[in-house]
Amino acid sequence: MLLWLFVLPLICSGILFLCGFLSQKILKATAFLFSLIPLVMLLSANWNDTAFVYNWFPMASVQFYLRIDALSLLFLYLVAVIIPICIVAEKRRPALHLLYGFILLLQALLIGFFTARDLVLFTIFWEAMLFPLYFIIANWGGRKAHETAFTFLLYMITGSALLIAAVLGTYFLGSHSFSLDQLSHAVPAWIGIIFTLAFAVKTPLFPFHGWLPDTYCQAPVSGTILLSALLSKAGIYGFLRIAWGIFPDHMIAWSPLLIGLSVVGVFYGGLTAWRQLDYKRLIAYSSLSHVNFILAGVFIWNHATHSGAIVQSINHGITIAALFLAAEWLERRVNTTDMRSISGVAATLPQLCWLTLFFVMSSIALPGTNSFVGELMILFGVFGSNPWLATVLGLTVILSVIYMLRWMQKVYFELPSAQSHSWKDLSLKEFAIAIPFIVLILWIGLYPQPISEQALTAIKGVGNAL
Amino acid sequence: MRFNMEDVFAISPFLILLFGALILLLIESFAEKLSKKIASYVTLVTLIIAFIAAYLAPVSASPLLTPWLRFDFLARQFSLFFILIGIGSAFLASPFLLYTNATRGEYYFLLLSSLFGLLLIGSAADFLTLFLGIETLSIPLYILCGYIKQWGFSREAAMKYFLMGSLAAAFLLYGIALVYGAVGSTRFDTLLDNYHALSTYTSKALFISGITLITAALSFEAAVFPFHTWAPDVYSGAPTPVAAFMAIGTKAGAFAAFIVVFFVALPQFHPIWNEGIALLAYPTLIYANFVALRQTQLRRFFAYSGISHAGFLLIPLAVGTPEALQALFFYLAVYVLATFGAFIVLVLIDEKEEGVILQDLRGLYWRHPMLASLFILCALTLAGIPPTIGFLAKLAIFKVAFQAGYYGLVIVGLLTTVLAIYYYLRLVSVMFSSTLVEKPMTWSRSMLAMGCVTLIVIVMLSIYPNGLI
Repeated sequence: MLLWLFVLPLICSGILFLCGFLSQKILKATAFLFSLIPLVMLLSANWNDTAFVYNWFPMASVQFYLRIDALSLLFLYLVAVIIPICIVAEKRRPALHLLYGFILLLQALLIGFFTARDLVLFTIFWEAMLFPLYFIIANWGGRKAHETAFTFLLYMITGSALLIAAVLGTYFLGSHSFSLDQLSHAVPAWIGIIFTLAFAVKTPLFPFHGWLPDTYCQAPVSGTILLSALLSKAGIYGFLRIAWGIFPDHMIAWSPLLIGLSVVGVFYGGLTAWRQLDYKRLIAYSSLSHVNFILAGVFIWNHATHSGAIVQSINHGITIAALFLAAEWLERRVNTTDMRSISGVAATLPQLCWLTLFFVMSSIALPGTNSFVGELMILFGVFGSNPWLATVLGLTVILSVIYMLRWMQKVYFELPSAQSHSWKDLSLKEFAIAIPFIVLILWIGLYPQPISEQALTAIKGVGNAL
Repeated sequence: MRFNMEDVFAISPFLILLFGALILLLIESFAEKLSKKIASYVTLVTLIIAFIAAYLAPVSASPLLTPWLRFDFLARQFSLFFILIGIGSAFLASPFLLYTNATRGEYYFLLLSSLFGLLLIGSAADFLTLFLGIETLSIPLYILCGYIKQWGFSREAAMKYFLMGSLAAAFLLYGIALVYGAVGSTRFDTLLDNYHALSTYTSKALFISGITLITAALSFEAAVFPFHTWAPDVYSGAPTPVAAFMAIGTKAGAFAAFIVVFFVALPQFHPIWNEGIALLAYPTLIYANFVALRQTQLRRFFAYSGISHAGFLLIPLAVGTPEALQALFFYLAVYVLATFGAFIVLVLIDEKEEGVILQDLRGLYWRHPMLASLFILCALTLAGIPPTIGFLAKLAIFKVAFQAGYYGLVIVGLLTTVLAIYYYLRLVSVMFSSTLVEKPMTWSRSMLAMGCVTLIVIVMLSIYPNGLI
C-alpha cells in the first residue's frame, strides 16, 4: 500500500507529460483529480506505522525503505492538501501539461522524501526534488526566471553536496548502514555540522537565505506555494528527523548558536519585510521570518517546543500558501506588485480584501487562528527553558503585525487610485479554492487538540535521546 | 582434435563480425554508389546478428579453441556489452558521414574490425590473444582518427596516436615476453599457479617487471595518468564519432583487459600491484579533474572527463575483490552509457573540423529541449548527482574502497567529484542561457530514436539499478 502512495502520483505525472493534446480545461481537471489521489488514500486508511522495504541496490547496501510514523503523517497531509491547491491556483499558461506533470512528480518525490527511512534514499529524494522545481521556476516564472532558477539550483546543489558528504561520512565512520533505524548516535561533530548546513540552506536558516527572495518572486504561483509551503518544511523535517535523530548531543551543544541565528533571522526577515515596496517580496521575507521562528522552536530540546514547531510548520504551510494565493489574485487584477502604484483596492474588490485580511490575521497569529496555537506552543516551551528568549521572540509577533498591516493599509485601504473599473471581485471558483484554507485555519485555531496530540506523538517517536 | 558445429557456433560472433566487415569492403570496392546507401544497414544487421549469436553461443570445449579463448560468463557479458557499444558507435557515425560525404564502407569496415579486437580482448585466455585483441582494436583506430585526410588536426592526431600506440604495444609485448621468461607460459589459466610455484628471487623479479610493463601498456589504453598524454590531443583531433568510439570502446576495452588479466588470471597475486594501482589513481583523479575545469573544446573536455573516470575505475581495480569487480563493471557500464548519450548530442550539433566548442551549446535547451534533456541527464549521470544512476555507481565504488581500507582514495574521490559537479553543471548552465542566433537544427530520425532509447535506459536504470547487475 505504502508503495502505491508513492508510485501512483509518479504514474499520474507520467500520464500528464504525455497529455499535451488535451485542452487546458480538461488538463486542469485531470491534474486536479490525480493530485487528490494521495489525500483520498491518506484519509481512507490508518497509515500509522506502515512500512515498505525492498532491497533496492544491494551493491551499496541501499534499501528502498519507506515508513510512516506520526511525524511523517503530518507532513504527508500537508503535501496532500497543498498540491491540489497549487494545481487549481495556476492560471492558463503555455505547456500546462508539463507544468502539472512536474507538480505531480514533485508530489511523488515529497511523499517519498517524508517517508524515506534510508539515508541514501532520503538524499536521492532530497536532490531529485530540485529538478522539477528548477524547471517550474525557469520555464513558467517571471522575467528574470532563468537567472533566478540557476541561482536557486546552485544554492541547492551546494546543500545537497554537503548532504551527500555527510551521509557517506555517517556510513563510513559510524554505523556501516544507511537505515535510519540502525544508525548509531556516535556521529562525529563535523558530520553533524555538514548535515546542519545542508538543512539550513534548504529551510533557509538566517545567513543562508540568499536564494529566497528572488526565487519566491520569480517563480509562478504554484512554484512559490510549493517552495514556501512544502520545500521549506523539508529542511525542518530534516532537522527533526536526522539532526535530532542521529546527533542530539551535538544539537544540544550547538543550540545557543543555532537559536541565536534563527532569532536574528526572525528579526531580519521581519524588518526587511517592513521596508519592502513590493508586496510579493514582503510576503517572501515574512515567510523567512516565520520559518526562522519555527527553527527557534526546533533548536530547543524539549517536547513542548518541538511539538509546537511541528504544529507551526503545518500552520505556516497553510497560511503562507493562502497568502501567496491572495497576493497572486491581487496581482492578476491590478497587474503590479508595486505597493506605491496602487491604493484603496478595497473599494472595488471588497471580497478579496476581506479574504486577504483573514489570511493576514492568521499570519500575524491572531487568537482563534491556527498560527496563534503554534506560536503559543513554541513560546510556551521556550519560556520554560529561557524566559528572556521567549520575551524577545514574543516581540517579533508585533513586528509581523506592523509589516502585514502596512501592506493591507497601503494597498487596500488608502484613497482609491484611478483605473479600477474593470477589476472583477472574487469569482466563485476562487472562493472554492479559498474555502479549504479558511476551514483549516479556523479548525486548527479553534480545536487544536488533535493536531497537537499528533505532534506530541511524533516527537516521542523521534526523540529517543531524551 | 575434432572441430564440430558446436565449436563454430561458439565463435560465431567473431565469424559474423569478420564476414560482415569483408562484405562491406566488397560492396565498397565494386559498387560505391550502393555502398553509400546500404553500408550502414549492413553494419547494423551484422551487429544485431552478432549480438544474437553472442547471446545464444554455446560453450566450446574444443582443445583447438580453449587455450586461446574463454567461453565463461564474463566473456559472454563482455561480448554482449561490446556489441552494444558497436551498435551505438555505428549510429553515431551516420550524421558525420552525411556532412563530410566520406566513403561509408571503409569507415564501417574499420569500425567492425576494431570491434572484433574488443571482443577478442573480452574473451582472451592467453596473453597472445589479448595482444592480438588490443592491436586489432588499435590499428583500425589509427586509420579512423585520420579518416578525413584533408583535416590537419586529424592527421596530427592520427600520427600521435600511432606513435604512442606502437610504443604501448612494444611495452605490452616486452612485458609478455618477460612473463613468459619467468613462468614459461602465456596462458591465463595456469598463470597464478605458475607464479606461486616460482622459487627464485630473479624469476619473481622478472615476473613482476613483466606485469609492470603490461600494466603500463594497459594504462596507456585506458588513458591513466601519466600515460594519458595522447588522449586529449587525439580526441580533439579525431572526428567526433571516432572520439566517441575511443571514449567508450577503447576505455571499456582497456578495463576489460585489466579485468581479464587481474581479476580472472591473477586475482590478488601480490599486494604491491594493488598499491601501485592505487598510486596511479590519485594523480589521475586530481590531474584530470583540475584540467577539465578549463576545457572549452568538448571532445577535449570529454577526453579529460574520460581520464577522470578512468581514475574512478582504478579504485575498484586496486581493491581487487569480487564485489569490487561488480562495482567496476557497474561503473563502466554507467560511464559508457552516459558518455554515449552525450556524444549523440555532440555528433548532431557537430559540423566543422574543430568540433563542438562550449559556445555551440548556448541555449540548446530552448532550441531543442529533447536533445538538451538527454545531454543534461548524461552530464548529471557523469557528475554523479543523486537521482541519476551515476550517484549509485560512485557510491558502490566508494563502498568497496572504504571496506578495503583505501580511505585516501575515498576522500580524494569525493573531493574531485565536487570539481566534476562544477564542470558538468557549467555545461548544463550554458544550455539554459539565452540564445542569440536561432540556428535551425537538423537531425535524423534514427539518431533521435537512439537518443530517446538512451534517455529511457538511463532513467529506467536510475529507478531500477539492479537491472544492470
